[in-house]
Amino acid sequence: MNRRIALRHLALISGGLVMIPSCDFSSDDILAAYENLKVTASQKKLLGEISNTIIPAGEIKGALDIEVPDFILVMVNDCMTSENQAQFTTGLAAFPDYVKNTAGKQYDKLSTKEKEELILAGTKLEGDENKALTYFLNTTKRFTIQGYMASEYIQTEIMPYSLIPGEYNGAVLITDLQKPRING
Amino acid sequence: MANLNIRSQQDRTYEAIVIGSGISGAWAAKELCDLGVKTLMLERGRNVEHNKDYPTTNMLPYEFEHRGQVPQKIQDENPVVSKCYAFREDAMHFFVKDKEHPYVQEKPFDWIRGYQVGGKSLLWARQVQRWSEYDFEGPARDGFAVDWPIRYKDLESWYSHVEKFAGVSGNKDGLKTLPDGEFLPGYELNVVEKYFQEKLKENYGGSRHMISSRCAHINGNLEHFAQQGRGQCQNRNLCQRGCPFGGYFSSNSSTIPWALKTGNLTLRPDAVVHSIMYDEEKGLATGVRVIDATTKEMEEFYAPVIFLNAAALNSNLILLNSTSNRFPNGMGNDSGLLGKYVAFHNYRAGVSAEYEGHAEYTTSGGRPTSGYFPRFRNVEKQETDFLRGYAAGFSAGRGARPETDAIGMDLKNNLLNPDKYGPWYVGSHMMGETIPKETNYVALDTNLKDPFGMPQLKINISYDDNDEKMIKDYLEQMTEMFDKAGFTNIQTRDDKRAPGLDIHEMGGVRMGRDPKTSLLNGNHQLHSVPNVYVTDGSSMTSTSTQNPSLTYMAFAARAAHHAVKESKK
Repeated sequence: MNRRIALRHLALISGGLVMIPSCDFSSDDILAAYENLKVTASQKKLLGEISNTIIPAGEIKGALDIEVPDFILVMVNDCMTSENQAQFTTGLAAFPDYVKNTAGKQYDKLSTKEKEELILAGTKLEGDENKALTYFLNTTKRFTIQGYMASEYIQTEIMPYSLIPGEYNGAVLITDLQKPRING
Repeated sequence: MANLNIRSQQDRTYEAIVIGSGISGAWAAKELCDLGVKTLMLERGRNVEHNKDYPTTNMLPYEFEHRGQVPQKIQDENPVVSKCYAFREDAMHFFVKDKEHPYVQEKPFDWIRGYQVGGKSLLWARQVQRWSEYDFEGPARDGFAVDWPIRYKDLESWYSHVEKFAGVSGNKDGLKTLPDGEFLPGYELNVVEKYFQEKLKENYGGSRHMISSRCAHINGNLEHFAQQGRGQCQNRNLCQRGCPFGGYFSSNSSTIPWALKTGNLTLRPDAVVHSIMYDEEKGLATGVRVIDATTKEMEEFYAPVIFLNAAALNSNLILLNSTSNRFPNGMGNDSGLLGKYVAFHNYRAGVSAEYEGHAEYTTSGGRPTSGYFPRFRNVEKQETDFLRGYAAGFSAGRGARPETDAIGMDLKNNLLNPDKYGPWYVGSHMMGETIPKETNYVALDTNLKDPFGMPQLKINISYDDNDEKMIKDYLEQMTEMFDKAGFTNIQTRDDKRAPGLDIHEMGGVRMGRDPKTSLLNGNHQLHSVPNVYVTDGSSMTSTSTQNPSLTYMAFAARAAHHAVKESKK
């Protein structure tokens, strides 16, 4: 009998009064930094995996390498209405079941291609029952793009941003603007 | 004790007091100081020193925790100021939060304010078009409001005076509706804007124009502006944060440091003006009563000349609150019209479209301005079913947008290599003249007080039938002009915004020839209290269509010279 089943038995025997320690069917530590969201450490980890599917590491860093999940949670926590926050967290909580029901495995057990397909499909689901999940995934995608592109890493090392954009030229030939391609 | 009091009173006596340090107040102070007048400038907000107090000016996009967005909690607490386009994470510290200075909206009115040294001159859109003779003649010709007691020729040299100092870039366009001024080199229109400019001339027989909008940015003559410690505009388009180069005109970068350098200016921040004091025997104002914003204690300052430049609605509030036996309904209010005939600019409508032409071009770099349509309706004579007309902004732009449909490595590579160009975007917004009416007014609430114990201002201002007709005409005409130029996917909008969001509220202390129908004479003096000058937006008799700040600057400079001349008589 493994530890999880043993604990479950114990809980049943004692009328559910046993505090169940952290494991996948209990609530783990709620992160105090995002006070409006009640997001757990494992949910944040999952969010990180999703953002890393949206913008993966390659020749240059990906979303997870530069703490985009933290940016996503800050934006959801600070810049959204409570209704939208509820949609987001409901969607986040529903994501593991969506993965299991669709792919039959946990998210971290899927191949990159399977993860991408799952998320792309998830952003386009219809029907009321999928509303929160779709909202969560689209919001995560939007903030992943924003947090990644408007990061110190991208704006200093990859596509340097200047506060002084230079003199205006109102008729630049697009063919004169060819830049070396950046390989992600 | 008596001696102490006398000395204390002497210490608080100046040769002039200016109420307000925004665009018009600081101009009055600068002129007075240049003329050797010991001047006290009162500002209700905190001090903001050029450069030193621009905390966000050199911040990079990723240094803003929310990348520019205002957190939801702040938006929820500030439903009014959150509507303003410039109320963003980088500049929200320069705006008045809703609870700081409550007011009563008898009708919806978004009152956008900046209480600090420099006022809204830090935040303005920096567009500076002169009024023309057509504008000053408007009320008399069309039979509304009252006749302006001045004409273009009275203001012409003052426009030049302030333009040379502030720095105005523009082209000599030779248009009677928008007189040329003292210009630094103008900014270039882009290839599609120039195309549209030509098409307009072609399609309307030279009767409609779109020009590069004149803006208060330094573009050349650098030695001249170095005397103010200001330099060339760097096209950052981050003006609302305060400019470290002094590239655009603000009180903070220009008139205030200049006035301080004369040694004649005393700047007193954190002084909320309660009222202007009146001496019945002399028939003159004697000074200003203020509430210290920190201690909430009342203090008095004295001077033989008072300039009131608290910004349009607050100047109304101060005069309404300056009561005495002689003026039970507010200082200078013999006509009973104080607070009435308030007007604004109608910014409700806009048109956007796409242009498939010039597909081989885009733009690069930045510029601080874009295109401007001077008024073309009812210029020489009445020709529509509404009075007056509208100016409009115009701009075209294009940029590479990354494709964001994919995810994974494809998305990443698209984001890092934005090379897909859609069609050019073109857009316009209207700036309509509104007709001042007695029913558009501000007044003091008899019960409600603000956190300083001052009566709250009741605002009762709305659009009228003339405005609705003008919106309809603007949308029709702009659609036609876009269509004739070959623009496609033309979209019109009327965002139904409340008055106020234009931040061009004007009037209530209007100028006029007759004390029975106006508050101020042609020199900006209260008819019945000639040592009080009001030279901000509250003095406007009508609104025309041009962005008004340049006119306030010219008013303030002209009136300051008048006051000094009078004092020497």
